[in-house]
Amino acid sequence: VTADPTFAVHDGSAWTEPHRRQPGKLRKTGTFPPFRGLLPLAGLLGIWQLAGPQHSPYFPRPSTWAQALMTLWRRGTLGPAAAATLGTFLVALTGATVVGVVVGIVVGTSRPADGALGPSLEFARAMPPAAMVPIAVLLIGYDATMKVTVVVFATIWPVLLNTRAGVRFLDPILADTARSLHLNPVDRVRKCVLPALYPSIFLGVRSAVPVALVMTLLVELVTQVNGLGALIGISQRSYQSAAVYGLLLVAALFSMAVNGLAAAVETYALRHRPQQ
Amino acid sequence: VRRVNLLGLGTLAGFLGLWEALVRSRLLNFQYLPAPSATAAAAWDLVLSGQLTAAAGHTLEVTLIGWVAASAAGVVLGLTLGLSRTAWRYSMASIEVMRAIPPVALVPIAFLVFGFSIRMELVIIMFVSSWPVLVNTIDGVRGVPAALRDVARVLRLSNGATIRKITVPAALPTIVVGLRLALSLSLVLAVVAEMIGNPAGLGNALVRAQQALQPAQMFAYVLSIGLLGVALNAAFQHAARWVVPGLGKGAS
Repeated sequence: VTADPTFAVHDGSAWTEPHRRQPGKLRKTGTFPPFRGLLPLAGLLGIWQLAGPQHSPYFPRPSTWAQALMTLWRRGTLGPAAAATLGTFLVALTGATVVGVVVGIVVGTSRPADGALGPSLEFARAMPPAAMVPIAVLLIGYDATMKVTVVVFATIWPVLLNTRAGVRFLDPILADTARSLHLNPVDRVRKCVLPALYPSIFLGVRSAVPVALVMTLLVELVTQVNGLGALIGISQRSYQSAAVYGLLLVAALFSMAVNGLAAAVETYALRHRPQQ
Repeated sequence: VRRVNLLGLGTLAGFLGLWEALVRSRLLNFQYLPAPSATAAAAWDLVLSGQLTAAAGHTLEVTLIGWVAASAAGVVLGLTLGLSRTAWRYSMASIEVMRAIPPVALVPIAFLVFGFSIRMELVIIMFVSSWPVLVNTIDGVRGVPAALRDVARVLRLSNGATIRKITVPAALPTIVVGLRLALSLSLVLAVVAEMIGNPAGLGNALVRAQQALQPAQMFAYVLSIGLLGVALNAAFQHAARWVVPGLGKGAS
C-alpha cells in the first residue's frame, strides 16, 4: 500500500486502532520507473512549446517560463524567496521531528499516558492543518514564528504515529536487556529505545517531508509572508502567468529534491540494518 | 463493543476547561483567543443564521463531485497502467514527476485559468486527488497473487472475465485505501481552494471571519471543517465495509 505523500491529510486510521505497518520492514526507496516513461510528458511540453499560443495569459509556452524565472532571479526576488522557503521547511521539519519523537515515545511506552492523551491528540489531529493558518495569523501575527508553528502542527503527526507504533513493536528482549544491565531511564532511552526506533522514526520523517513542504508553500501563499509560495501568489495576482508556471516548476523540483534526499539519507543511515 | 476511554475524554475535557478558565481569568492573554464557550456560541449562531450550513453544503458538494470524478479517472487509468506493462513503462515516470508537484502550487494556476469559479475548485481536486487512487490501483492490480492468475488461466477465462472476476476483486482492498485517501484530500483541497480563491464555502467563510476579526466564528469554522472530515471518513469506512464484504478492518 502506497501512503500518499502529497498532502497533509488526516489519513483516517483511527488513533486507537493498532498500527499495522511493521517498523523495520521498509518500502524499497529510491526506485524510479524507467526513464522512457518521461516521453509522454516531454512530448506534451514539446507540443505546447511548438504549437501553443504565442502570448497566452493562461497557457504560456514553456520557454517563457524560463525567461520569467531568469527575470525574477535578476531582480533578486527568487533567491531570497527560495531561501526563506527552505529555512521554514527545515526548521519546522526539525521541530516536528523532535516533538513527534518525544510525544510518540511517551504515548508508546505508557498505556495510561496513551489513554489519557489519545483523545486530545486525535482531536488536534482532526483539525485541518490548512485551516489553522488564519488562526495562527490572528494569534501570532504575520511572521516567521507563525509559519513555523503552522507547519509543525501539520507535520508532527506522521512522526508521532510512526514513533508510537515503533515503540509498540519493540522487541521485549530489549527491555529485559536494559533491566538486566540496570540502565537508568535516560540510558535506557538513549542506548536501547532510540536506536531500535530509528527505522520507524525515519519512516515517519520521510512521510513528513512532503507534508512540511506543502504546508510551507500553503502558509506562504495564503499569508503572503516571504518565500516561494508568496512569490507565486504575487505573480498570479499581477497576471504574470509565465512566472507562475516557472515557479510551479521550481516548487516541483524542490519537492523532488527534498523527497529524494530524505530517501537517500534514510537508506544511508539504515544501511547496516537487515531488510526484513 | 468499544470501551469508552473515560480517562482520555476526561483529559480532553480538562484541557478545554483549563482553556476556558485561563481565557476568562485573562491569565492567557492573547487578543484574539476565544474561550471554548464563545466558540460554541458562535457556532450555534452561525447554524441558526444558516451561514454555516450553506458554506458546509457548498464545500461538501464540491468535495464529493471532485472526488467521484478523480476516483473514476484514477481507477480507469490505474487499471490500464496496472494491466499493461508497456503502458506502465512508457508513462509511469511522467506520472511520478507530475505527482511530485506540490498541490498548493497548482491553485494559482487553476485560478489564472478559471478565475473565481467552482470549476477551479473541481479541477484542482480532480488533478490532485486522482493520484492516490491511480497509484493504489496500479499497486493493487500488480499485486494480484500469481496463484490467482494461474486460476484464471486454468479456467481459461477470457481477458475481460479475468479482469472482472479475478483482478478487480483482488485489487479492491488496495483501491479502497486509495479512494479513502482521495476523499480526505478532496476536502482539504476544496478548503484550500476556497481560502485562496473561490469566494464560497467553508474555506472562504473562515478567511472572512479572520479578516473581520471574529476569532470565535473562525474557530467555529475550523471545528466544522474538522468534523466534516471526520464524518466523511466515517461514512466512507462504513460504506466501504458494506459495499465490499469481507473488507478487513486492516484494509480500510
